[in-house]
Amino acid sequence: MLKISKLNAKIDNKEILKNFSLNINPGEVHAIMGPNGSGKSTLSNILSGKKGYDVSGEVLFEEKDLFEFETEERAHKGIFLAFQYPLEIPGVNTNIFLKTSLNAVRKARGEKELDAIEFLKLVKKKSRELKFDEDKLNRQLNVGFSGGEKKKNEILQMSLLAPKLSILDETDSGLDIDALKIVADGVNALRDDKNSFLIITHYQRLLDYIKPDYVHVLMNGKIVKSGGAELALELEKKGYENFH
Amino acid sequence: MDNRQKEIDNLKDYKYGFTTDIENTRAPKGLNEDVIKFISNIKKEPRWMLDFRLKAYERFKQLKEPNWQKPKYPKIDYQDLYYYSAPKSMDDKPKSLDELDPKLLETYKKLGIPLQEQARLNGIAVDAVFDSVSVATTFREELTKQGIIFCPISEAIQNHPELVKKYLGSVIPTTDHFFATLNSAVFTDGSFAYIPEGVRCPMELSTYFRINASNTGQFERTLIIADKGSYVSYLEGCTAPMRDENQLHAANVELIALDDAEIKYSTVQNWYPGDKDGKGGIYNFVTKRGLCKGKNSKISWTQVETGSAITWKYPSCILKGDNSVGEFYSIAITNNHQKADTGTKMIHLGKNTKSKIISKGISAGFSDMTYRGLVDISSRASNSNNYTQCDSLLMGNKCGAHTVPYIKNKNSESNIAHEATTSKISDEQLHYCQQRGLSAEEAVSLIVNGFCKEVLQQLPMEFAVEAQKLVGISLEGSVG
Amino acid sequence: MKEQLQKDFDNTIKNLSLSQKDIQVKKFYLDNFINRGFPNRREEDWKFSDLNQIIKKNIGELSFYSEYTSTNKIDTSVFVDGLEHNKIVFINGRIEKIDFDYEKKDQIEIVDQSESINELNINNSLSDLNNAFTNKSFKILVKKGYKLSKPLIIYHTTNSKIWSKNINLRLNFELAEDSSLRVIDLFNDTSEKNFLNIFYDFELKENAILKNYKVDKSENRNIKYLFNNIDQNKNSISETFIFSSGSNFFKSEINCNLKGEYSSAYVNGIFSLKDDKHHEIRTIINHLTENTISYQLIKSVLEDSSKAVYQGKIFVNSKAQKTDGYQLSNAILLHKDSEFNAKPELEIYADDVKCSHGSASGSLNEDSIFYLMSRGLNYHQSRELLINGFLLDVVEKITDSEIKNLIKNMIGIKE
Repeated sequence: MLKISKLNAKIDNKEILKNFSLNINPGEVHAIMGPNGSGKSTLSNILSGKKGYDVSGEVLFEEKDLFEFETEERAHKGIFLAFQYPLEIPGVNTNIFLKTSLNAVRKARGEKELDAIEFLKLVKKKSRELKFDEDKLNRQLNVGFSGGEKKKNEILQMSLLAPKLSILDETDSGLDIDALKIVADGVNALRDDKNSFLIITHYQRLLDYIKPDYVHVLMNGKIVKSGGAELALELEKKGYENFH
Repeated sequence: MDNRQKEIDNLKDYKYGFTTDIENTRAPKGLNEDVIKFISNIKKEPRWMLDFRLKAYERFKQLKEPNWQKPKYPKIDYQDLYYYSAPKSMDDKPKSLDELDPKLLETYKKLGIPLQEQARLNGIAVDAVFDSVSVATTFREELTKQGIIFCPISEAIQNHPELVKKYLGSVIPTTDHFFATLNSAVFTDGSFAYIPEGVRCPMELSTYFRINASNTGQFERTLIIADKGSYVSYLEGCTAPMRDENQLHAANVELIALDDAEIKYSTVQNWYPGDKDGKGGIYNFVTKRGLCKGKNSKISWTQVETGSAITWKYPSCILKGDNSVGEFYSIAITNNHQKADTGTKMIHLGKNTKSKIISKGISAGFSDMTYRGLVDISSRASNSNNYTQCDSLLMGNKCGAHTVPYIKNKNSESNIAHEATTSKISDEQLHYCQQRGLSAEEAVSLIVNGFCKEVLQQLPMEFAVEAQKLVGISLEGSVG
Repeated sequence: MKEQLQKDFDNTIKNLSLSQKDIQVKKFYLDNFINRGFPNRREEDWKFSDLNQIIKKNIGELSFYSEYTSTNKIDTSVFVDGLEHNKIVFINGRIEKIDFDYEKKDQIEIVDQSESINELNINNSLSDLNNAFTNKSFKILVKKGYKLSKPLIIYHTTNSKIWSKNINLRLNFELAEDSSLRVIDLFNDTSEKNFLNIFYDFELKENAILKNYKVDKSENRNIKYLFNNIDQNKNSISETFIFSSGSNFFKSEINCNLKGEYSSAYVNGIFSLKDDKHHEIRTIINHLTENTISYQLIKSVLEDSSKAVYQGKIFVNSKAQKTDGYQLSNAILLHKDSEFNAKPELEIYADDVKCSHGSASGSLNEDSIFYLMSRGLNYHQSRELLINGFLLDVVEKITDSEIKNLIKNMIGIKE
C-alpha cells in the first residue's frame, strides 16, 4: 500500500530523514518509535503533503507517486494524519468543518454526499462510540478544547473519513489512560485486512492497546532496527541509548 | 521655602546638577554662515566638510520647525544661542590626560566616569564630550591593536576622511528634517567608531555627553560603522547642570551595519529634567537612525529615558539588507512636568526582515508621555515580520499616557502584530509589598522595575544596575 | 473649483427660503471650504486617505449643485424583503419618503430643520461643505420611553441620472430617556463617480439604546464620507456595525462622546475589499466620565490591490476613572498588492483605567490551510472556510438577532 524508498528530507538545509525506507502492506499496523528530533513528525508531515521540505527519493501509495498529489488529494485517496498538535481554528464551527471534509472526501471517491440530517445522524453515532462530547460539535474547531478532546476529535475525524492509511502522530502524548483506551478503540474498530496504520510514538504505552505487526526504531533520520511487537518492550526496558 | 532649601531639595533628586566653573571659548552668538565657518575653522576641517555644513545650512533656511509632536514648547530663538562652546584649555589640544584641565577630570570623576588610567572603568572605552568638544577618549591604544577606530568625530574627519565622507549623512541626509539638518550644519563634536571586518569589539564603547555652558546648544554627531561580520556594543550617557533656562540638545546618531554585522546601541539619558515646577531642563531633540545595509545585519536600540524637560526622538532602523533584524527596547519615565514623545520606526525594505519593539512608558506627576512608532513593511519585503508591545503605566490622574502607532503592511506574506495596554499599579500589589515590609516608594520602584524588566535585561551589566536605580529615583515623590 | 463652488452655491441658495442671516452663515462655511479645500494627506486624520487626490483621480471636476425640485420615482424592488421596517428613502440626495408606518404616530416626531441652520462643528472641511450645501435636514425624535417595534431602514439610493456630483446629506436623531431605535443604513448605488458627504448626529438621553447597522455592499464607483456623531448620556448604549465593501472609496467616522456614567459604545466593522477599493474607518471614543465602556472590533479581508485603513482612538480624560476601553483590528492580506494600515491610538489622562489595543495583519494562516486540506478540502474551500470563520465573530457581535440574520444573508457569512 505504502512504499517509501530512499527518502531524504531537508528543511533549512538541515538533513532530517536520511535514506529512509519502509513498506506497509494492506492490513498491517506499523509503529515507529524514536526519541525527540529523530524525524518522526517530519515523516508524517511529508506523507500528508506539508510544504517547506526539500525532498528526494520515492514514495508510492497504491503504486502511484505520492508527491504528484496535493494535500487534499492525498486525503481523498485515503491518507489520514492525526496531528500531534491539532490546530485551533477560530470562527470555524466543528460540525460544518466535519461535514465539508466528509463530503469532499466522499465526492472524490464517487460516493453520494450526505445531507445535513444524514450527516448529523452519522456524526452523533460516531461521537457516542468515541465518548466525544456532542456539545463540542457546535463549538469552534478545537478552540478551548482540552488536549484530550482535541485528540479525540482527531480520532472522530479518522473514524468518519474511514481512511486506508492512518498516520497517528504521537496521538498518545498528553492523554490519560481513559482517553488512551478510547483512542485505541477507535483505531481497533477501523482495523481490518485492508486498512493500514502507521503509529508514531515516543512511548510503548499506546502499543499495549493497539498491537503492532512491526516496530521500527528511528534514530537520526534512519531506521536502525526493525522487529515485531516485542521490540517495543525491549526498547522500553533498555532505552534509546542502546540502539545507536 | 527659601531658595536655598529648594536648591538642596532639587539636588537630592538630580545629583548631576552641579556646574563646572571653567573658562570657555565660544563662537559668536547666533546662527549664520560665519558661525558655521568659525566652527569649521576652529576644528581645522577640510573644505568638503565645510561644504557639507553649508549645504545643510542652505537647506535649513528653507525648512519650517515641525509642530506635530505632542509636547509643545515655547518658540526657540535660534539666533539667541551659542553654537560652539569649549573649555579654553582645549584650544591647544592636550596631548595626554596629564595635560587635561584638572577641573574637567574632576567633573567626570564626580559624574562617575573617571578618565585617568588607574581609575578608568573596566571593559568600557569612554569618549567624553564636554559641551562642544571631545575632551578625552580612553583605551584607544588597546582598540587600535585590533584595527578598531574609536575617536572624536572631529579627529576622524582629519584622519579617516574616506570613511567619514562615505558614510556621514548616508543614513540621515543633510536634507532630512529640521533639527537633523540644523545638526548637519553646526555639529561640533561627537564620537566616531569603525569596527573592521570580522572583528568583535572586545569592550563596550561609550560616549559620555555633558552640557555645562549656559545658553549653549549641544549638537553632537555620532557615526558608527560595523564592517562585515563585526560586532560592537555602544553605550551613551548624558547629564547637564541645573539651569533655569531650557537648553537645546539636537544630536544626530548614524549607525551602519554591513553584511552579518551587529550593532547594539544603548542609551541612558539623564539630562537635567527641570525642577518640580517645570522650570528649566534640556530639550532633547535627537535624531537616531540605523541602516542595516548588509544582509543578515542587526541593529538593536535600547534606551532608558528618564531625564530632559522634553524628549523627542525615534531611534529607527532601516532594514535594507535581506534577513536583517531591527530591535527597539525602551523605557521612558516622565515625572513632574516632563514631557516625552518617543518611539521608533522600523522600515522593512529587504526580504525576511524582522523587527521587534518593546516599549514601556511610565508617567507620573503632571507629565505627559507619548509612544509614537511606525512599522512599515514595503511590498518588496516578503516574509518579514514585526512584533510590537507598548505598555503604559500611569501614576495619578494629572499625567497622560498616549500610544500612537502607525502600522503599514503592504506585503501579504508578512505579518505585523501590535499590542498595547495601559494600566496602573494595583492597590493589591502595593499592599502586598508593603505588608512584606517595603515602603510605598520601595514597592513602586520594585513593581516598576518588574514592569520594565524586559528592557532592562537588554542593557549591558554595568548600565543595568545604574538604570534600575535611576528608574526608582525618577519616580520619587510620585506616590503618596 | 472656487468658481464652480460659488456658482453652484448661488444656484442652491436661490431654491431655498432662507433668512438673510442664515444665508450669511452658509456663506461663511462656503468660504471656509473654499479656503481649505478637500482634506489631504498633510492633515493627520487624512494621512492614509488623501481625499483631495482620490476625488481628483476618480471623479475630476465635481459639481455641487443639485436640482431638488422634482421628485424621483421610488423603485420599490430595492426594499428589503422579509423584514417589516420603517423607511427613509434618499434618491440622489433628495429625501423622497419618510414613513414610520409601523409605529405609534405620537411617539415619533419628525422635525424639519431645513429652514434654520443647525451647525455642525468638527475640525474638518467636509463639515463646512455640508453646512454650506445641505438643502433639507430633518431631526427624528423618539419620545420618552418609546421603543420602536420595527427597525428603520434608510435607503441611500443613487441612480444613473447623476454623475460627478457632490451630494450632502444631514440627519439628526434624538432618543429621549428610555427609548430605543434600530437603524439600518443601506447603500444601493447604481450611479458612478459621485461624492456623497453624509453627516449624522445622534443624541442619546439616559437609558436610550441605539443600534446602527451600515451596509455598503453593492458594487459601485462612488466616493463616500459618512460622519457619525454620537452623544451619550447616563446608561445609554450605542452599537454600530459597519460592513464596508461596495464603494470605490468609503470613509466612515464615528465620534462618540460618553458623557454619562455607565454609558457604553460598541463599534464593530468588516472591510471586505477587492480591486483597487480603498476604505477607511476612523473612530474616536471620548471617555469623559467615570465607569464608561467602549469595545471595538474591526476585521479586514483584502484582495487584489485594495487598501483598508483603521484609525481608532480611545481618549480618556482625567475624570474618567474606571474606564474600560478595548480595540482590536485584524487583517488578512490575500494579494501581494493589498495593503492594511492602522493607527490604533490611546490618549489617556486617568490612572484607574483598563485600556488596550491590538492589531495584527498578515497572510492567511498556512498551518490552518494545511490542516483543512489534510481533511480533504481543496485550497479554495479551505480559504473560504477560514475567511468566513475570521469574519463570523464580528457579525456575531450584532446583538439584534433578526438583523444579524438579515446581514448574514446580505453579506454571505455562514454560521
